[in-house]
Amino acid sequence: MKSFSIKNVRIFATGALLGLAVCSQVQAGEITVYSALEEDEIADYLAVAKKSLPDIEINVLRLSTGDLGARIIAESANPQADVIWGFAVTNMADKKIISQLEPYKAANSESLPAQYRAEDGSWFAATGYMGAFCVNTEVLKSKNLPMPQSWADLTNPVYKGEVVMPNPASSGTGYLQIAAIIQGAGEEAGWKLIDDMDGNMAQYTSSGSKPCKMARAGEYAIGASLSFVAMKSVEMGYPISMVIPSDWAGYELEASGLVAGSKNKEDAKKFLDWTLSQEAAEVYAKYKAIITIPGSKPSEMATAAGLPENLSEVLYPVDFAKSAMERPEILKKWSATTAK
Amino acid sequence: MSSATAQATLKKSRLLGDTLLVTSSVVFPLIGLCIFFCYPLFLVAGKSLQLADGTYGIANYINVLTSPGIVKAVGNSMILSVSTTAFCLVLGFAVAFALQRSGIGGKRYLRGALSLPLLAPSLVQALGLLFLLGRNGLVHKWTGWDIEIYGFWGLLIANILYALPQAILIIEAALRQSDARYYEAAEILGASKWRQFLDITLPNAKFGILSAGFVVFTVTITDFGNAAVIGGNFKVLATEIYSQVVGQMNFGMGAVIGILLLLPTLIAVYIERVASQKQFGGSSESAIPVSTGFYAKRDVPLGIFVHTIGSIAVIVVITVIMASFIKLWPYRMTFTLANYNITLSGGYAPLWTSLLVSVEAAVLGVIFLFFLAFSMKRISPKLAKIVYLLAVLPVGVPGLVLGISYVLAFNVSDNMLGVLYGSSFLIALCNFYHYHSQGFLTMVTGVRAVPPSLEETVSCFGGGNFRILRDAVLPFMGPTIISVFFFIFMRSMVTLSAVIFLISSKVSVAAVSVMRLDEAGFTSQAAAFSTCIMITVILAMGLMNSLIHLYSKSGSRKEEIKNNQDGSQKRGFARMIDRNYCWTST
Repeated sequence: MKSFSIKNVRIFATGALLGLAVCSQVQAGEITVYSALEEDEIADYLAVAKKSLPDIEINVLRLSTGDLGARIIAESANPQADVIWGFAVTNMADKKIISQLEPYKAANSESLPAQYRAEDGSWFAATGYMGAFCVNTEVLKSKNLPMPQSWADLTNPVYKGEVVMPNPASSGTGYLQIAAIIQGAGEEAGWKLIDDMDGNMAQYTSSGSKPCKMARAGEYAIGASLSFVAMKSVEMGYPISMVIPSDWAGYELEASGLVAGSKNKEDAKKFLDWTLSQEAAEVYAKYKAIITIPGSKPSEMATAAGLPENLSEVLYPVDFAKSAMERPEILKKWSATTAK
Repeated sequence: MSSATAQATLKKSRLLGDTLLVTSSVVFPLIGLCIFFCYPLFLVAGKSLQLADGTYGIANYINVLTSPGIVKAVGNSMILSVSTTAFCLVLGFAVAFALQRSGIGGKRYLRGALSLPLLAPSLVQALGLLFLLGRNGLVHKWTGWDIEIYGFWGLLIANILYALPQAILIIEAALRQSDARYYEAAEILGASKWRQFLDITLPNAKFGILSAGFVVFTVTITDFGNAAVIGGNFKVLATEIYSQVVGQMNFGMGAVIGILLLLPTLIAVYIERVASQKQFGGSSESAIPVSTGFYAKRDVPLGIFVHTIGSIAVIVVITVIMASFIKLWPYRMTFTLANYNITLSGGYAPLWTSLLVSVEAAVLGVIFLFFLAFSMKRISPKLAKIVYLLAVLPVGVPGLVLGISYVLAFNVSDNMLGVLYGSSFLIALCNFYHYHSQGFLTMVTGVRAVPPSLEETVSCFGGGNFRILRDAVLPFMGPTIISVFFFIFMRSMVTLSAVIFLISSKVSVAAVSVMRLDEAGFTSQAAAFSTCIMITVILAMGLMNSLIHLYSKSGSRKEEIKNNQDGSQKRGFARMIDRNYCWTST
């Protein structure tokens, strides 16, 4: 942890002094990793990875899923990354991004259940997150509202003006939520549910973590958001309860893959192998709601926040290929349904 | 005979030097604009024509124009921008007038207070408004008043806070010079103070006001940050770009909206036309600066009004600074320093990169913009028109679009431009061109206030453009140059939207650290980091200010600047020369 930050300080200082950092020159043993994992997780994971891969200098660029996606597409003429690590599979499956990847069957990837990896080996997912409600217990108490348990509960008129969810057109989280509802409840019932919920919705936010942040600040009672922010908020001491909707909890996988344009494939592959190791699985447990590596235990945080040990009980089996393909149509219909 | 030849040669070489000065004043900034603005934007325009299957056509434009919600977004954006502009012009003029022409107290404080929205990371504005006016904010807690901050009104407040300092910057440059003799004449003719204001003050500031209006309108219509945080369900064009590009990874559609957002900059054509008309009055070399005496009837209400606006800006920032020392706002209100122990994303290291980047951007920016503005009157009107349009175009480009255009232009391996990619210097360039228009318009407004007759005087004394620059323009422009420098510096320290596309795994900046901390859920740490940025900016500005002070003290130019500022004395150089003498002797 410490060596990570000191190294960074040094790198930044040199970069700043030189003004022109000569980064087109790739040194042996150095890889560039693009990741949408969270800042604090990355620091922890890298500290462990360093010990197993002492000869590889791992430089990580961290951006949110949407920003990183835009960046990768914009850079496609001259890809800068060697590895994409922990990036929403719905975005990874986009033609403009998956076409930049080179299939690589990482060590241990065969042991993953089939739904957690691409058939051709272009990506695999070691971790994931799920849709979750952040419910502010203090607001519930002061407004005398019942605790919601499911999406269906959110159609109850008592919650009018107290629910926030992400806009599926701008947020991957928003999309995974409505995709799960539509696939779970079926076309007709699903859209009716979305329409009914719309009456209670105070606003649709552009980012997926925002509804939880609003709920924890006490702005609204319920924020439909992500397990990651929910667990973090509980841990930090906000009066938040994490509720995994009992009807259809959408989830998203965090996929990794090898960039075809990489100039240091050997080290990139070593790093990808590491992300599926037992050692990695142990550190993931500190942060992740979903860990796909067989034999790994659920995290303490997940248990404390009320996640069941067997996730398949609560996860609705989302069909990612279908969900990506239908996206434009669903978004169009969503705009029409929720237009006020 | 020989002396005549020598004189002719001298004249010739001076003429050559003159041409060289004007040419390079235009050419270098213009080359910069072409490489670092036009070319990247051209690539984006290309993307807007590229279809999903790789072929070219105008289908994206048709898709955007016929998509549901776009008409509403256009309408919302227009209403919002027009209202913001109206408010900012009235408030901005009041503040600029109070600072330049009135005798109100606490001017330095007011100036500082109203630059806060420029030097605060966007998160500060967002958090501040939320903590104060949110549904669970302090105002609600203290008064029980249920405010609905999300939507049009909240967005209007946030946009005014952000755009107002930019309006003040430009209007102030227009009000800096004036001639008391007009007011004396009006007084003798029996015109009321109000009449004088309408007939002298306003017309003289016309160009500044129009330019400020243009800037406010355009920054509002292209702003995404405020709309995302406080807009609620009030959808605007900039949020549409975001959901196309970032939400759905659909560059073509995003690029179309980006190009369409350039349309409002056509207003600039009109401003340029107004500007080329001869403005009445102008100032002259013998101008007697308007006294800034205290008139209770005008200055007491004005003072209260402008200080109220200043206080709002201060309170928003103070709230966030307070929250950075709180354990868990608003649930556990105990004091802590723990939020300042930042180890993530390189700790405080990106702050130093930001400082370097911002100084680079400001130095480069001031030099380019000053010479470009100086040469505007010295080149052919046709060329001037083109230069003017190019120079004000950047304000119409949303940061997100600018950032992506830079990746398209500079992430290349087969030509020289690629060397810059991934460097902090490219971030500096991007920041400068992002705020090019505001700086340029301020400089042009400032140059217009330089008395033409003073330039003539220098010129007929045999001084070339170089002497005009040194003896006439620079002394007048001192305060304007400094304010443009600090404007670019402050914005460069905190701007985010374009920069996130240019940071690399090795080079990052402070504003990105704030965003990352916030995204990872550490809101209080993000507030703490923001506080550190603001303190750094203020300290750096203080240091640079005293350096400028020290420098100008040693040079004689200081006198000129000082005379301009207090205005009680005659203007040394200008007053010494009798214009008639100049004419008769030539």
